[in-house]
Amino acid sequence: MPAVSFPTIEFAVFFVIVFVLSWALMPHPRAWRPFILIASYVFYGWVDWRWVLLLVASSLVNTVAAQVIARTPSQQTRKRALIAAIVFDLGLLCVFKYLSFFVSEMDDALNSIGLGSPLPLVQVVLPIGISFFTFQAISYVVDVYRKETRAASLGDVAILQAFFPHLVAGPIVRANELLPQLRTPRDPREVLAGPGLFLIAGGLVKKTVIADELARNVVDPVFNDPGAHSGLEVLLAIYGFAAQIYCDFSGYTDMAIGTALLLGFVLPQNFNRPYLATSLQDFWRRWHMTLSRWLRDYLYIPLGGNRDGPRRTYRNLMLTMLLGGLWHGAAWTFVIWGGIHGGALSAERWARERWQGFHLPTWAAWFITFHVVCLAWVFFRSPDLSTAFGMLGQVTAGGPSPLVTLPMVFLTVAAIAVQAVPTRFWERGEAWLVSRPVAAQGVALGLLIVAADAAVGQEGVAPFIYFQF
Amino acid sequence: MPAGRVLGVIVIALLFAALFNSEAIVRAGDSMQPGPTRDIVLSVARPLDDVAGAVGLHLPREGLDLAFGQEDKTGEGTELEKGSTAILRPNRRKPEQQSFVQPTPADPVEVFVTGDSQAEFIGQLLTDELPDDLFDVEVAARNATGLTNPEFFNWEINAQQEIAARAPDAVVMVIGGNDGFNVLVGDQLYGWGDPEWLTEYARRAAVVMRTLSSEGERPVYWVPPPTARDSEQNAIYETQNRAVEDAAAAVPGARYVDIFNTINDGEYSDELRIDGDRVLARQSDGIHFTREGAEVPVRLILREIAKDYEALASP
Repeated sequence: MPAVSFPTIEFAVFFVIVFVLSWALMPHPRAWRPFILIASYVFYGWVDWRWVLLLVASSLVNTVAAQVIARTPSQQTRKRALIAAIVFDLGLLCVFKYLSFFVSEMDDALNSIGLGSPLPLVQVVLPIGISFFTFQAISYVVDVYRKETRAASLGDVAILQAFFPHLVAGPIVRANELLPQLRTPRDPREVLAGPGLFLIAGGLVKKTVIADELARNVVDPVFNDPGAHSGLEVLLAIYGFAAQIYCDFSGYTDMAIGTALLLGFVLPQNFNRPYLATSLQDFWRRWHMTLSRWLRDYLYIPLGGNRDGPRRTYRNLMLTMLLGGLWHGAAWTFVIWGGIHGGALSAERWARERWQGFHLPTWAAWFITFHVVCLAWVFFRSPDLSTAFGMLGQVTAGGPSPLVTLPMVFLTVAAIAVQAVPTRFWERGEAWLVSRPVAAQGVALGLLIVAADAAVGQEGVAPFIYFQF
Repeated sequence: MPAGRVLGVIVIALLFAALFNSEAIVRAGDSMQPGPTRDIVLSVARPLDDVAGAVGLHLPREGLDLAFGQEDKTGEGTELEKGSTAILRPNRRKPEQQSFVQPTPADPVEVFVTGDSQAEFIGQLLTDELPDDLFDVEVAARNATGLTNPEFFNWEINAQQEIAARAPDAVVMVIGGNDGFNVLVGDQLYGWGDPEWLTEYARRAAVVMRTLSSEGERPVYWVPPPTARDSEQNAIYETQNRAVEDAAAAVPGARYVDIFNTINDGEYSDELRIDGDRVLARQSDGIHFTREGAEVPVRLILREIAKDYEALASP
C-alpha cells in the first residue's frame, strides 16, 4: 500500500509531527507551503516514493495548462491547452487503471474472431488515489477554463492535489474550496477541535467496529461462495455490505475531514445520511457527494444535462452513471452497477413526469430506493458477474444460517438506522466533548483507540475499500 | 480551541492508548517489514510493554479482547519459535503410503483452506471445484502472516486453535508470501540467504505441518509461494520451496504442492494459459494470483488431493 493509512502507528506519529510543525509554520506561508507539500509527499510515498513523481508530473502539467488558459487571449489556444491537460489526465487513468482490462478484452475479441491472441497481457500497478487526484486535476483546469477559479502557482496546485488528508480517497476537492484557504493563514486559536476529534473518533468506530466486523463475519464469506449459503445469509450479506461500504468509506472520509479540520482546513462534506434517501436522485445528493457533483458538473451538464428533452436526458443520465461505474474500476460489475443507477434515475424521472402529482408514501419510496441501491451493491461487491447472479439466485434458498447472528444483524441495522439520528444529537456530543478538560478528552479518545484496536484483532485494520479506486 | 490544547488532547490520547495497548503495538512493530520504522517502533514499544505488563495495564485490553471474542495468536515458549531440528531427521520419515477415510455423500470430507492472503482466491476456487456432495470447504485466510514472524502471528498456536475448533479431515495451507524476515536460531540471527535460514524455515514448517495433520491423522497440502516478479522475492520463495519440500518429506500426512517450479516452468509471467486460453494470472503486485489465474495452482492442488481421495481421480 503506497501510502500511510489513517488508523496506523505510523500515521499517529506522522500526524503529531505534522500538527506541531504546521501550526508553528502557519504564520510564515513561505515556509508552511513547502512544508505541507513535502509532508504530503512523504505520506503518499511512504512505501514507494516513485508514485510521488507521478503526482508531481500531474501537478506540473495541469499548472502549465491552467497558466496558458489564463494568460492567452486566443480562444483556440485556451481550448487546445484544456484538451491537452484532459488528455494527459485521462491518459494517466487509462494507462494505470484501464490498460490491462482493455488489452485483455481486445485480446479476447480478436481471439473469438479467429485472429489468435496477439496482445501481451500485462498487469499494471495501480497507484493508490490516482482516480481522486486525476479528477481533481481535471476539475481545476476546467474551472480555470470556465473562469470559475483563478490559475494558481505550481506550489498551490501541488498542495491542492497532494494535501494528505484528501489525497488517497477524497473528498474530491475543488480549487475554489481549498485554494482560498491556502492563501489565508489559519488561526491557531480557533481550531475546530470538537468536530475534528468527533469525526476522527466516529470514523475509527465505523471502520473497525462495524465495517471490518461485518466484512469478516458475513460479507466476505458469503460473497466468496454464495452457493454454500442460505437465502437468509445471502440477504444479510447484501444488507451487511450496504452497511459495510457506508461505514468503510464514510469512516475514511470522516477521518480525512477531521484530520484537515485539526490542521485548520475545511474539506467538503462527502456523505449526508445516504440510506435515508427516498429517491435515487436524493441518494446521489447524499452519497459520495463530491463525486456526484463532479459527474454532474464535468460530465452530465456538458453532455447536455436535461436541456434537450427527455430522451437526451435519459441518455445523459445513463452515460454519466456508466462512466461513474467505470471510474471505480475496469470491470463489467462496475459497469452494471452504474447501469442500474443510471436506469433507475431515468425511470424515476420518467415516472415523475408521467404521473405528475402522484407521490408514493415516504416509507415505500425509501424502501424501493434502498433496495435498488442494495441490488446495485451486489454487482459492485462481486468479483465477477457469475458471483453477482449467484448471490441473487441464492436469495430464496433454504438451509441453516449459522452466519445470521444477533451481533451481525445488530451491526447491520445499527449502521443503517443510526443515520436517522438527528444531526443536533451529534452536535451536542461534540459540544460536550470539547467542554471537558483536556485530560478527560484525551483519555476518552485513548480509550476509543484501545477498543477499536481490540475490535479488529491481531490482523489489524483491513484496507479501506476505496483505496483500490 | 487553541492548537496547543488540541495537541494536549492528541498526545494524552496516544499515550493512554500506547500504555494500555502496548502489546498490540509490539505486535504491530513485529509485523512491519525490516527497516528503520520497525526498529524505532519496537525500541519504544518493547520497554513500554515491559512497564505496562509489570503494573497490570494489559488487563483492560485482555478484557476487551475477550469481549470481542479475539483469541490470542501469539505466545511464548512455543516449538515454532524454539525447537529442535530433530523433527526433520530421516528417522522420523513418514510411511511411504498413507490412506485416509474416503468421502461419501453421508460423510463428506471437511477441507479447511487456510494460510495468508494467497489462500483467499485459491480457497474460493477449491470451494467451487471440489464436488459439493463429497467435500465441504471452509476458508480462513490470515492476511500478512507467515512463519518467520511468530511475535506477530504464531501459526503453531493458530493451527492448534483451528484444528480444535473445526476438526477438519484435510487441510490446504497456502503460505509464505510474507516470509522474508530474519530468523533467530539460538543467539544467532540468519537471513534468507543463509543455509541456517533454510533449515530453520523447514523446521518451522514441519512444526505447523505436524500440528495441522495431528501427527498424520489428516493430509496437509502445503502450498508455498509461486514465482514472483521481483527477483529478490523470487529467490526467497525458491528457498522456501526447498525448505518446505524437506519438511513435507519428514512429516506424516504432509504433502508439498509445488506451484513454484511447475507453473510456467518456474518462470514468472503475468499471463498464463488455461485450457489453451491466455489469462491475466497475476495481480499488479507480481505475487498474488488473480481470481482467474488462481485456477492454475488450484489444479495442481486438486491433483495432489486426488492422490489421497479416489473420488477425485480421473476415470
